[in-house]
Amino acid sequence: MKKVLAITLGIVTSVGGFLEIGSVTTAVQAGAAFGYQLLWAILLGTACLVFLVEMSGRFSAVSRHTIVDATRERFGFPFFAIVMVGVVLVFFMVLVAELGGIGLSLQILTGIGFPWWAVPVSFVVWFLMWKGTFGLIENGASILGLVTISFVVAAVKLNPDWGAAAHGLLPGMPGTDKAKYGFLAVSILGASISPHLMYFYSSGAIEDEWDKSYIPVNRFIATLGMTFGGVLSMAALVAAALTFQPNGVEVDTFEQSALLMTTALPKWGFFLFAASMLFTCLGAALETSLAIAYFFAQGFGWSWSEDLTPSKNARFCFVYTIIILLAAVPLLMGIDPIKVTLMSMALTAATLPLAVAPFLFLMNDPIYLGEHRNGWISNTVVAITILISFVLALIAIPLQILGG
Amino acid sequence: MWIKRLLGLSLIFATACKPPTPAEQMESALSWIGTAGMAGKAWLRHTTPDTYTRQTLELSHDKLGQLADELLKSPPPGADSESLNSVLARSRKRIARLEALITAKNVRGFARELDALRADQRLVKRMSDRMEPNE
Repeated sequence: MKKVLAITLGIVTSVGGFLEIGSVTTAVQAGAAFGYQLLWAILLGTACLVFLVEMSGRFSAVSRHTIVDATRERFGFPFFAIVMVGVVLVFFMVLVAELGGIGLSLQILTGIGFPWWAVPVSFVVWFLMWKGTFGLIENGASILGLVTISFVVAAVKLNPDWGAAAHGLLPGMPGTDKAKYGFLAVSILGASISPHLMYFYSSGAIEDEWDKSYIPVNRFIATLGMTFGGVLSMAALVAAALTFQPNGVEVDTFEQSALLMTTALPKWGFFLFAASMLFTCLGAALETSLAIAYFFAQGFGWSWSEDLTPSKNARFCFVYTIIILLAAVPLLMGIDPIKVTLMSMALTAATLPLAVAPFLFLMNDPIYLGEHRNGWISNTVVAITILISFVLALIAIPLQILGG
Repeated sequence: MWIKRLLGLSLIFATACKPPTPAEQMESALSWIGTAGMAGKAWLRHTTPDTYTRQTLELSHDKLGQLADELLKSPPPGADSESLNSVLARSRKRIARLEALITAKNVRGFARELDALRADQRLVKRMSDRMEPNE
């Protein structure tokens, strides 16, 4: 019974916590500019994420290690330090983008500019981290994030051409604007295959005291939760294609994105969008702050747990306190969170090999996983993910320049 | 060796960086008129707050102004630049008027101005379609 509950809650939180500012921004931009043509990128990104999340959970349930401490233990501190610099830099930018997403949601609701929200929003995130437990952070914001199911309702109400949408699940090339198309494909993949989820999920499995008996639970949660999450992202793209394209609108700003559901759901669409972004960005900000604190604490061998009181966890709490404080600075200076989001997508793509390659070695190490190490299917998927990551890293930055 | 490679890569990125073409600027202008139209339509249905609608109209007005300046400096090939400037200036005025009509809560006047903006959008679209294709 406990495991059925764990599966249900896990799936619900995966669905509610899947979307965040990066996935919504890229899906909406893609739908507005290219209709259904980039649905394949979400499908591919989601498939990669399903495998990576399943592996993260399996790794921790079997080895009772997190990915971070095993990386340091297996490869030594100098290599770990390189991974840490790259990954933490990207996580920090993602945190800035998520805090900015909350600020932008409040801006469209109140008319008060997002820089004014930087300090109160950062304080709320820090306070929840300080007072909250892992369960509250994992489940609370994600359950509120279920409001994103409204994207599916909006997409269905707009009566899409399902045949054309299915066609978009296969990769193709547009007649014009190839650079922009390529950049958006890269951004969607970067937004979907987000390494902070791997680290967060792996640490969460330890926080929740998973053991080998949780392997089937982990598989259900990773597969169903991430798949349903991918469907939400696709729904945002479909709704954008049917809302913005007929009006000739190419989405560049958050204010434009806010009109996503005003046609399909005239009465509540605007407020549902604002609430969706508010809750999902809050959830993602909490997860990212935790992922950074986990990274430092596990990497340096400090005590760590979101369930411990700050007095027993001083260095862990100090890290997220400083990181949240620093993340508020660019927003206070008025730096556009959407630009930070797009830049963090490209940097995520650039650092994916750094995060995924050592993970592949760990997933094949009999010392950690014994009989539960990767089979050829998992290895192939991870190898393809690394290849995709590498190609993404090579093309993301020039495409960002070409695509404007 | 690595410095040379880095310099080479920087050069590739620098040459890849290009300003938007007039055709792309026309698309952006159409997009911002469309944004103002969508925001206006949503406000008429009483589904968006006044402040948000005013801010979005102001943003559209400013972006359209920047694009009109750029298009004035380098007009799109095959377009009647005088007519284009005139219709973009008119659209900006209409968007500014829409903002004022929200403050005045003049729904009927707002609806009339929004219809006129849509007519301008169709005109800009026709001009854009007549232009030489985007490279």
